[in-house]
Amino acid sequence: MDEKGIREILDRAYKEGRKVLYEYEAKEVARLIGIPTPKNIFVKEFDSLDVENLDLKEPYVIKIVSPQVIHKSDVGGVVLNVSRENLKDEIRKMVEKVRSKVPNATVEGVLIEEMADKGVETIVGLVKDPQFGPVVMFGLGGIFVEVYRDVAFRLAPLDKDEALSMIKEVKAYKILKGYRGMPPSDIEAIADVIVKVGEFGYKFQEVNELDINPLMAYPDGVNALDVRIILGE
Amino acid sequence: MEREIKERIRYLLYPSSVAVIGASRNPKKIGFQVVYNLIKDGYKGRIYPINPNAKEILGLKCYPSILDVPDDVELAMIVVPASKVLDVLRESIKKGVKAVAIISSGFSEIGNKELEDAIVEMCRRNKVPLLGPNIVGVLNTDHNMNLSFCPHLPFKGRITFITQSGALAIGLIGWTWASRIGISKLVSIGNMAMLGFEELIEYLEEDRDTDAILLYMEGVKNGRIFAEVSRRVSKKKPIIAIKAGKSERGAKAAASHTGSLAGNVMLYETAFKYAGVVSADGLEDGFDKALALSLQPPLKGDNVVVVTNGGGAGVLSSDYAEAFGIPLKDIPTDLMETVKNLIPPFGSPKNPIDLTGNAYRDDYIRVLDAVLRHPWVDGVVSIYVHAAITDPVEIADGIAYVWKNHRDKPITVCMIGGREVLVANTWLRDNGIPVYPTPKRAMAAMAALREYGRFIERYGNEG
Repeated sequence: MDEKGIREILDRAYKEGRKVLYEYEAKEVARLIGIPTPKNIFVKEFDSLDVENLDLKEPYVIKIVSPQVIHKSDVGGVVLNVSRENLKDEIRKMVEKVRSKVPNATVEGVLIEEMADKGVETIVGLVKDPQFGPVVMFGLGGIFVEVYRDVAFRLAPLDKDEALSMIKEVKAYKILKGYRGMPPSDIEAIADVIVKVGEFGYKFQEVNELDINPLMAYPDGVNALDVRIILGE
Repeated sequence: MEREIKERIRYLLYPSSVAVIGASRNPKKIGFQVVYNLIKDGYKGRIYPINPNAKEILGLKCYPSILDVPDDVELAMIVVPASKVLDVLRESIKKGVKAVAIISSGFSEIGNKELEDAIVEMCRRNKVPLLGPNIVGVLNTDHNMNLSFCPHLPFKGRITFITQSGALAIGLIGWTWASRIGISKLVSIGNMAMLGFEELIEYLEEDRDTDAILLYMEGVKNGRIFAEVSRRVSKKKPIIAIKAGKSERGAKAAASHTGSLAGNVMLYETAFKYAGVVSADGLEDGFDKALALSLQPPLKGDNVVVVTNGGGAGVLSSDYAEAFGIPLKDIPTDLMETVKNLIPPFGSPKNPIDLTGNAYRDDYIRVLDAVLRHPWVDGVVSIYVHAAITDPVEIADGIAYVWKNHRDKPITVCMIGGREVLVANTWLRDNGIPVYPTPKRAMAAMAALREYGRFIERYGNEG
């Protein structure tokens, strides 16, 4: 874990008076923790973007970067499956749409990302409780978390055995083991992420909440497609 | 916690002298009850009633102030109205008491936080541990000390019960006698102004009279410290928690999934898991589990065998074994062959082993001995359903007789028969065997022994 690098990102947010990190910052933190994320670039001046020399594989996901926009997809701030050819057009359309829905939004730029393959959607989270300190959470995405609240918690920090026991504790674990011909997911890699998130929460006590949602799980490896980090006072 | 304060907690639990400040001659007053209970239940230490308006209480010389007591006093038990507490506390500290307990109420529980803070501050500055305020008192069966307004001491044993509710303490004492659940100390912690679960658990780590710690908990002062301390102490002795207040706190305005899902209950359960604390579902379950964990060794593997004289009870136990995470497995062939030769042809040598309703003391002894002796077996749940032709006391005696030779493996017993098995139950518990009226409860107790066993396996050697 690159603690110095993480510290710099957190300090910058504090200095700018932001409690919610931009997605590209949160993903950078995830990378510095040692968690895989999609390859991406943050573009400030998107009008002068050199599309031809963009070092990212098609198709792309583009996302708005604005301190006023937290739930990006609710206001049209996320567009999937964008080709290199249409990239500039789609960016322009997205920014217009967000501006029309959130008139006071200051657009800092856009995040262009390689679009990840479909896998099993899991969630790894961290919350700092006033009584118990940093606590990590694991669950499967979609209805499993939202409807069934099928999640497991542990106090951080925790070791890998403990992380594995968390994964096995949720009822939807069967899906990760391979279900109806689907291949099994890389449970070891998920456990690694949980351990690292716990260690991060324990070392950086100023972090109030972290969500990796989804952490896409594949037969070989994982990918943090969306990362949200919220800081405390 | 500061070392001096921690070391002095023993003066709260094992004082050789107590001053009851606010002692009274009026039998309706708590100040009378406390002195009366000390004498009645046979407290061996010195008792000094303090009351400026009395010369003598229950035959004991009464002193106007603790400062007038000619000898040293280890513990000051304060029963005066809240408004006078600070004055008598100052005198107690001047007298050089080693610990203070306050039964009086009227502090933070009614919003009077300032007075409570002042008391804590005075105690902390003088390195005096403070129990309370707003408690029913401290009871210690090893010391015959009923320093409380509970009508009598609990049944003697090796569980220390720490309770945040005073009324529950009083109510449960009768229960400990009826069910023969052995209590070492019963400590009411009231407002937890200074000492709470965290500090007492830490103290009990080294307490030689405590084999298991039972908590009735509504909340802790500091969850993290509670979790860390309990995790360390759990490696030496089991902790069982009855957590009340399980309704979720109002939906928190959280910006993340994790935040909105991390409710109060979830976090306590998480902390218990981390700390190896066995979580109980209410009072009955709490006492059931504490009984098993205080009397029996942890279950070191998942191979549980049920030995029953009734098929129905066996099926039920099998259902609960699965529900509680220790599903019954097929027993090894050699053990099955052995058992086959010990039971009637219409019995069942499979798990659960059915001895049939014809099983007498010797049948239980032979089969239980074969089962407990087998290296594959980690623990046994023995069931007796009262039958017209058998004597439950003989069966109980047989079970106790066998287990004496296999104390390294846990056993829990279910005796179905209500009034018919009361004497047998007493016999079993007095011989260190936890007994329950239903297969569900006997199996839940075995599952608790497994839960603790797993924690010990993983962390027991970390020291």
